[in-house]
Amino acid sequence: MLKIVGRRLAQVAPLVLGVIVLNFSLIQLAPGSFLDVMSAEQQITDPAMLDQLRVTYGMDQPAHVQLLKYIWSVLQFDFGYSYRQNASVAEVIMAHLPATVLLMVTSIGVALFIGVAAGIVAAVKVNTIWDNLVSVFAVFFFAAPTFWLGIMLTILFSVKLGIFPVGGMREVGVTEGPIAAAFDVMRHLALPAITLGLFYAAIYARVMRASMLEVFRLDFVRTARAKGLAPTTIVLSHVLRNALLPVMTLLGLQLGTVLGGSVVVEAVFSWPGIGSLMLDSVQSRNFPVVLGVLVLSSLVVACVNVVVDLAYFKLDPRIRAR
Amino acid sequence: MKMSRRELLASTLAAGTLASAGFGEAQAQATPKKGGTLVATWGGFEPQALFVPAGGGSSPYFTSTKVLERLLKLDNKLVFQPVLALEVTPAADFRSYTIKLRPDVKWHDGRDFTADDVVFNALEYWKPISSGGALAGLTSAEAVDKLTVKFSFKDPTPEFFLKSVLAGKAGLVIPKHVYEGSNIITNPANNALVGTGPYKVKQWVRGSHVELARNEAYWAPGLPYLDQLVIRWWRDPASRSAALEAGQLDIGVFNPIPAPDLKRLEATKRFAVTTDGYLSSAWISTIEFNSRRPVVSRPEVRQALLHAIDRDFIADTIFFGRAKPSIGFIPASNPLFSNPKAPQYPFDPKKAGKLLDAAGFPVKGGSRFKVNLVAAGWFEENVKLGQYVKQALEDVDVTVDLAIPDRATSLKRIYSDYEYDIAISNNSGAIELIPGWTNFVTTSGIVKGAAFRNANGYSNPTLDGIVSNLTTEVDEKKRAGLAHEFVRIAATDLPITGLVDIQSVTIARSDVRNHSNLADYLGESWSDVWLDR
Repeated sequence: MLKIVGRRLAQVAPLVLGVIVLNFSLIQLAPGSFLDVMSAEQQITDPAMLDQLRVTYGMDQPAHVQLLKYIWSVLQFDFGYSYRQNASVAEVIMAHLPATVLLMVTSIGVALFIGVAAGIVAAVKVNTIWDNLVSVFAVFFFAAPTFWLGIMLTILFSVKLGIFPVGGMREVGVTEGPIAAAFDVMRHLALPAITLGLFYAAIYARVMRASMLEVFRLDFVRTARAKGLAPTTIVLSHVLRNALLPVMTLLGLQLGTVLGGSVVVEAVFSWPGIGSLMLDSVQSRNFPVVLGVLVLSSLVVACVNVVVDLAYFKLDPRIRAR
Repeated sequence: MKMSRRELLASTLAAGTLASAGFGEAQAQATPKKGGTLVATWGGFEPQALFVPAGGGSSPYFTSTKVLERLLKLDNKLVFQPVLALEVTPAADFRSYTIKLRPDVKWHDGRDFTADDVVFNALEYWKPISSGGALAGLTSAEAVDKLTVKFSFKDPTPEFFLKSVLAGKAGLVIPKHVYEGSNIITNPANNALVGTGPYKVKQWVRGSHVELARNEAYWAPGLPYLDQLVIRWWRDPASRSAALEAGQLDIGVFNPIPAPDLKRLEATKRFAVTTDGYLSSAWISTIEFNSRRPVVSRPEVRQALLHAIDRDFIADTIFFGRAKPSIGFIPASNPLFSNPKAPQYPFDPKKAGKLLDAAGFPVKGGSRFKVNLVAAGWFEENVKLGQYVKQALEDVDVTVDLAIPDRATSLKRIYSDYEYDIAISNNSGAIELIPGWTNFVTTSGIVKGAAFRNANGYSNPTLDGIVSNLTTEVDEKKRAGLAHEFVRIAATDLPITGLVDIQSVTIARSDVRNHSNLADYLGESWSDVWLDR
């Protein structure tokens, strides 16, 4: 098992290098540069000032020198400086990271819970009204655009009923103790987590249902039934565990994208996450921030992969044997 | 106006009032209440930094101006009012100005605001960094005493022009003791501002909001009325509407919510919508013809193509009535310098066709000629505008190749590579034409790679001469005459002109009082706004 972990982690270095080179080239290929955007925004029209900025941003050097310099500084765990935010990239990312991780982990949690539960119900009551209901809801939440769902939930729960706040992560202009603050964050988290969670839940429900139905047909389930086990026991300890593997794969894929955040949900609920930061950075060609987020993401993907592998072993010992 | 601007300024000083014009006046009649938290937003995103010394667009301008102040401000009647300066007086030859500063003003860190600060700002910040060349003629700035500064200029300098710079986007006063000896553009203080303004930065929660707390030591007694001003950002206009309705947002400036929502919310009587407060920050949608391209370099072709475009349709349909057809390159709302008598090109596709025939471009094989149309994709309206102009030109048998690139690409195509025949872009600017508006058409305005300047390559010595006179003419009447001539020439040769003047709106809860009372309200300090709760 240690060998597997070691092998996975050894893949990180080339992965990160690839991420840097590929994305740096992509940003260089995109028309318009960071200097264009910054000087336009600052309405800088003085040629001398433009030259000065070009030197400040390090854009007076050829692209390959910029790339090598960037790789060298990443090797020293320095992600560079973002002149747009006037702060170091690490600082900028850390300012948005907790919000994103909180939102994504919560919504994936919501999705996993609702999706798996709905999938079990649909599989157990296959071809009944329950199964159809789950399918209808799954299709609906999967197909409904998240921004529309988000706005509808806001109008219902925030504007009409006044239960939840309209966006943000904390009540503004209020100082509160840690417990009240945690409660406050939960209140703000509810709608965005549900919006995003329902979208993911739809996928989980469909996968879970299909996987459960497949396992139901296997011989060992028939054996379990034949020896007189209670239906609940069969579903929970025999079928569920074996049906979870595809869901684990999905979960692993999704946990890998945690750092990407969700631009749309963040925009609708003005959630202070990394998605909007990425969008702004790509639009302004601010490559240190884009690369910083992507490098961190690739690290997360590598780590999650290791964890998912370990979970496979736990769920299905046959994998380890191979 | 019978009174000169100086007399007007003096008389308002003598009265010593905070009274403001128009909309504000009616609101100000009730006795202001102290206290409360005002939550404000604007129709855009979070700024990249709270203060961007070289400008940085509307978002940092919105946040920084609550903390940093200027020497003067411009009210809705286009009269300059004192802020950190009490008087700005020209010498008889208009080659020097004496500025008397307000006494007993303290920076947020407790230091005194003095003439040295203003000298530092003029020479180290405004002239080289923020004014975009407007103060190129400033030869010296010296402190006469602790509260008096003297500016000297190479040439006679018009009073309205200088005061516009001091009251404008470029004129924020930053503390010398914080910025001296550092690179102003990258100074960490730009995100932890020290100013003289009515609010101090308490906390910036990135991605969400900035909390500004009342400056207890503010120089104006009793001000500001608010205990706290919170500027919050929503990326989605529909969410801003929801926040207004749910009572979590009090005021939104610069088109915060979708146009159809404005009518609905105004009808509830819980909200007030106003177009005041944008006199000196008018936005227009522009159409620009590249003089480097043979077909569209000819004025008669440009005139004909303008006849093919229905500006009323653009204003009513694309902007939901929140825009007016332009009467030229300078917005009609500019009472001093716009010129309603300049040539107009009303919608008349038949005439457009005839003019194009006469210009030597008859329809051959279904098309007269082909143009590249670039619509700068930074506003949603520009996308529709690009599509509409394509259709309108195709209706007069011009083949159009339309591109609507994203912001960075648009900037590059229009202002760096000049890679277009016709471009749709935007400009916003103050009442004063120099240098913001004139840079779009003067020869000196051609700077490759510098955005929002002359990208069309137009160069006309007559017009350059008028602009140069406009820079040094000190008689206000003669200046207005020169400006009208400037507008007339631009409207005849048409290197660039306005399609529609965008009407910016503010929406606020009815209990927010005394707002929108200055000519560029988004960028004012908001010291006198109060909550009637």
